[in-house]
Amino acid sequence: MTEGLQTQNLTIGYDTDLVKDICIKAVPGTVTTLIGPNGCGKSTLLKTLTGELKKKGGTVLIGDTDMSMMKASEIASKLAMLMTASVKPELMTCREVVETGRYPYTGFLGILSEEDKKITQRVIEETGLQDIADREFLNVSDGQRQRVMLSRAICQMPEILVLDEPTSYLDIRYKVDILENIKRLACDNKLTVIMSLHELDIAMKISDFVVAMGEWCVKRTGTPTEVFEERFIRELYGIRNMDIGLLGNMPWISPDELSLSTDGDVPVLSLLTNEKTGRKESAENESVSESVLSSLTEKNAECKEIEENISDGSDVLSSSINIDEKFTDASLNASSKSDKIVSTQKKYAEGGDKLQKTSKRKGAVAVMVQGTMSNAGKSLIAAGLCRVFSRDGYRVAPFKSQNMALNSFITEEGLEMGRAQVVQAECAGVKPDVNMNPVLLKPTNDTGSQVIIKGKVSGNMSATEYFKHKKELIPKIMSSYEYLKANNDIIVIEGAGSPVELNLKKDDIVNMGLAEMTDASVILVGDIDRGGIFPQLLGTLELLEDKERNRVKGLIVNKFRGDISLFDEGVKILEEKGHKKVLGVVPFMDINIEDEDSLTERFEKREEKNFDIAVIKLPHISNFTDFYVFEEIKEVSVRYVTKQEDIGNPDILIIPGTKNTIFDLRWLKEKGLDKKIISLYKGETVIFGICGGYQMLGNSISDPFNVEQGESEEGLGLLDVDTVMEEEKVRTSFEGIITDATGCLKNIKDCKVNGYEIHMGRTACKGDLKEFTSNQTGYCRGNVFGSYVHGLFDNKEIFTGIIKAVAGKNSKTVDTKDCIDWYMYKKSQYDKLADCIRNSLDIKGIYEMMGL
Amino acid sequence: MNKKRCALILAFSLFLMLVLVFISILSGSVKMPFDEVLGILLGSQKEGINYNIIYNIRLPRAVAAVFLGGGLALSGYLLQTFFNNPIVGPFVLGISSGAKLSVALIMIGMLRYGKAVNSVEMVGASFLGAMLVMFFVLFMSLKVRNMSVLVVSGIMIGYICSAITDMVVTFADDSNIINLHNWSMGSLSGMEWDDVVIMGVLIILCFVLAFAMSKSMGAYRLGEAYARNMGVNIRFLRVMLILISSLLAACVTAFAGPVSFVGIAVPHLMRQITKTSSPFVLIPASFLGGAAVTVFCDCVARTVFAPTEVSISSVTAVFLVPVVIAMLYKRGRGN
Repeated sequence: MTEGLQTQNLTIGYDTDLVKDICIKAVPGTVTTLIGPNGCGKSTLLKTLTGELKKKGGTVLIGDTDMSMMKASEIASKLAMLMTASVKPELMTCREVVETGRYPYTGFLGILSEEDKKITQRVIEETGLQDIADREFLNVSDGQRQRVMLSRAICQMPEILVLDEPTSYLDIRYKVDILENIKRLACDNKLTVIMSLHELDIAMKISDFVVAMGEWCVKRTGTPTEVFEERFIRELYGIRNMDIGLLGNMPWISPDELSLSTDGDVPVLSLLTNEKTGRKESAENESVSESVLSSLTEKNAECKEIEENISDGSDVLSSSINIDEKFTDASLNASSKSDKIVSTQKKYAEGGDKLQKTSKRKGAVAVMVQGTMSNAGKSLIAAGLCRVFSRDGYRVAPFKSQNMALNSFITEEGLEMGRAQVVQAECAGVKPDVNMNPVLLKPTNDTGSQVIIKGKVSGNMSATEYFKHKKELIPKIMSSYEYLKANNDIIVIEGAGSPVELNLKKDDIVNMGLAEMTDASVILVGDIDRGGIFPQLLGTLELLEDKERNRVKGLIVNKFRGDISLFDEGVKILEEKGHKKVLGVVPFMDINIEDEDSLTERFEKREEKNFDIAVIKLPHISNFTDFYVFEEIKEVSVRYVTKQEDIGNPDILIIPGTKNTIFDLRWLKEKGLDKKIISLYKGETVIFGICGGYQMLGNSISDPFNVEQGESEEGLGLLDVDTVMEEEKVRTSFEGIITDATGCLKNIKDCKVNGYEIHMGRTACKGDLKEFTSNQTGYCRGNVFGSYVHGLFDNKEIFTGIIKAVAGKNSKTVDTKDCIDWYMYKKSQYDKLADCIRNSLDIKGIYEMMGL
Repeated sequence: MNKKRCALILAFSLFLMLVLVFISILSGSVKMPFDEVLGILLGSQKEGINYNIIYNIRLPRAVAAVFLGGGLALSGYLLQTFFNNPIVGPFVLGISSGAKLSVALIMIGMLRYGKAVNSVEMVGASFLGAMLVMFFVLFMSLKVRNMSVLVVSGIMIGYICSAITDMVVTFADDSNIINLHNWSMGSLSGMEWDDVVIMGVLIILCFVLAFAMSKSMGAYRLGEAYARNMGVNIRFLRVMLILISSLLAACVTAFAGPVSFVGIAVPHLMRQITKTSSPFVLIPASFLGGAAVTVFCDCVARTVFAPTEVSISSVTAVFLVPVVIAMLYKRGRGN
């Protein structure tokens, strides 16, 4: 067994040195991929590895042996290769080409033994080449040739496989085929695979390890997630400001970057227009207030994590479900009843089961809910469907191409989206994503709106201007949709207004036009409460074009009050006259999933209430959902601050988590915030540091593996701990207790903590600190508390305990009694909604309609 | 690769070659009955004019045709492998002409000092000339990757060599001119057993060496990079290919003058007939095919206008150029 391929300070080049000091270690059973712009030396490196080019310096090791000390035949039995360009041998059958792979094992004249022939035959069968094996190599397609060449390499029975852009010139089918084979070889045969690829999306998926090569040197190495950071990739390929939306959704692009352009580059369009159109526009984009809500809890973040785990592949499925169970645990307040936990776990267990069934299918199917008018209840029906599908184990995402609303939601990335989709996302158990609502219109006056594309402000437009501009948005909308499609099983699309606003039908991007583009099955919802259900549904059907009408697969009568059996006759009439199936009659639902507090202004809140909490809004702030719990209490204000003078004199100061600790720590110092924090510390203010914030509270942060900045930085020195950034990311759930709490927080000692850890560094305690959270995840001294645990405050006992204790210390009184457990309440409302939808609609029929 | 087919074709080529050798011996300006020829060949008749004609003139000539034709075709095959290009051969690349020039220079130079040139010296000189042109062609092939440029430059250097040869011949003594002229046109006349033994040894040696390289050449069909990956020592292979093909071409030129088109056309013909590119098959097939074709052409050359002999190159050109053109046509259309 070999120990893979390794380069040590390898220098490569033709006449002159091209790339210096290459240190790569490729391990058996893994795929190492070289990426980088044309001419950066990928092929040169591979040619050097195969011995075609002489190295300019350094060493290449196969296992422990220096390659230059090995005989050609010895190398041949260990290392096989596959190049881009197809070779053109005349009059050779595919079998003969494959057979050449056995040459290193044959005698002087290269005559194949029976054994060699058996091996060849086996490889041919394994790679499915039987049909073309005896055809002439030059007479088969490029894709098949490449397969033959791969079989040849397999036949060589190497331990290392070197591939130079093996998928160039191949159509998608052969691409998948070749890559699947490569992955299989790495996994099953424990080969060391090292290859170059131009397709970054593929590289990201197939690689275990990525080497990014640039001019003169290797720019970055690591796992795909470490290397594929958008800013880095853009820099590597020199496309810093290029709009690459044309390429569709590249997984390495953070979704918000697909928007029109970077901030400020777009000229602000502000034109006056006629009032009528403006109004019509608002009518079309019905208000979403009926289902607005906000206040997310940790749940979302975790679900996203879990989903990522699951989508990694079925082999990690079981483990991810385990994590999921814990996460689910963690996300529920400790005070919640255990039977709820059990039911949620069950849901995910079923989900995993289903996933295995559905994972073969590529991309999601779409179902679209359209209404006969605004406020027909589309959003709620869509939300209910999201919940139902999600409970049945599908990966579900809501989608609405365009929302018009004044209030929006801010996602964790700081991007704006419509709230209806946030509710629906929560129902679907996923984190809200701007792709779920790529276009958001915020009316600025009667005639114009602020246009927000993929969460970022693109400019102000009048209604007419927007109407003209609308068509150009289609690629953006579709790229968002494709992104969701690739990562889900079902997309529940919500229409807007009525699909038969005949004067506005041209270039429709919200109703039938969108249904057409996404090939969605349409469900038409009518509102019986407002009367005229027959003209609503039948009239709408009548006004649709034939093609559009065929898209409508079922009708729903919504908001029925009273005994539903009374409407049986109505259902019959609708089915007879409309020639469409009535999927069900939904009763008027008394469901409250609206939030009291607007989230748009979360970061802008300045008001200091009786009890004040200041959170430092770091440039790379993450997981600020940790602090939502405090916002539930009426007398408590949570302010996000960036300036020294804004900090004021809070009761509690929190340094939150960050995606880049060292950078943000420097920012903190540049802004002079560090001095303010230390002065608060001297004034005995209670200071919390969570995750990255905790690291900042320590003495030092060093980064020997170049995970962040590659340098070390002195911390704030409030806790006697030191942090070392490590290559491995810690990502676990946490179940423990508050081991000890110093200062004024003695009352929360021994409280249960259910949360999770996501961080890169390890923090070691030096001085005589008390362990704050169990399992050495956090320490405290006096009124300074640091912990890696996210979701630390979620336990009602803890957050009310903290408020009470700190209020007591500052001789204030804060009433925490009336603070409801908002998360649990919301969840119960969602479940109520889902139950109602499931009972009143023919869910099986809807699945059939979607072809599931 | 169909093994049965290949074996059958090899056997048939051998049979055809033997039949042609027999016909070649049978035909000539002196008419001889079939029985007598058979008797002489089988050794039952060991004297008489006819015996002398057959044993000292016709047989060595036929055997020489076998060796030289085989060697030429093999040389062409090796060059085609080396350049990975089916339209090269020792004549097209000018190697034969180079050998011719250096042989002519040696011959005239030596004759001026009253010395006769023996066959070993002839082969040596010829090899030297072949290698010189070979290096030029290699140089070109390294600098210009385009195959047609390579062929054209080969033809050009061939012309230059021929031109110089012609000039040299012009200034040669009258007595040598006829000899030299005949030789430089390409002819198998006047072969003696001593020559045949020398060429036989050389060509069989080359054949064995070439055959020994067949594994590497087989791998080389997929290109240099893959061949290296299969453990082939590329540099060694290339040196061997150059040396063997040059030695073969030089040997042929030294004894028979430049003989055109056998080197290109025969390997191609054999590839088409055997439907394989395996060197394992093509090395013997090219050899046997080349031998048969050359024996046949030599036979035609000396019998069609008997007693006047035409140059063997004229005959090979007439028969083989259509083959080459057909090949070019097929390839051109195929692309």
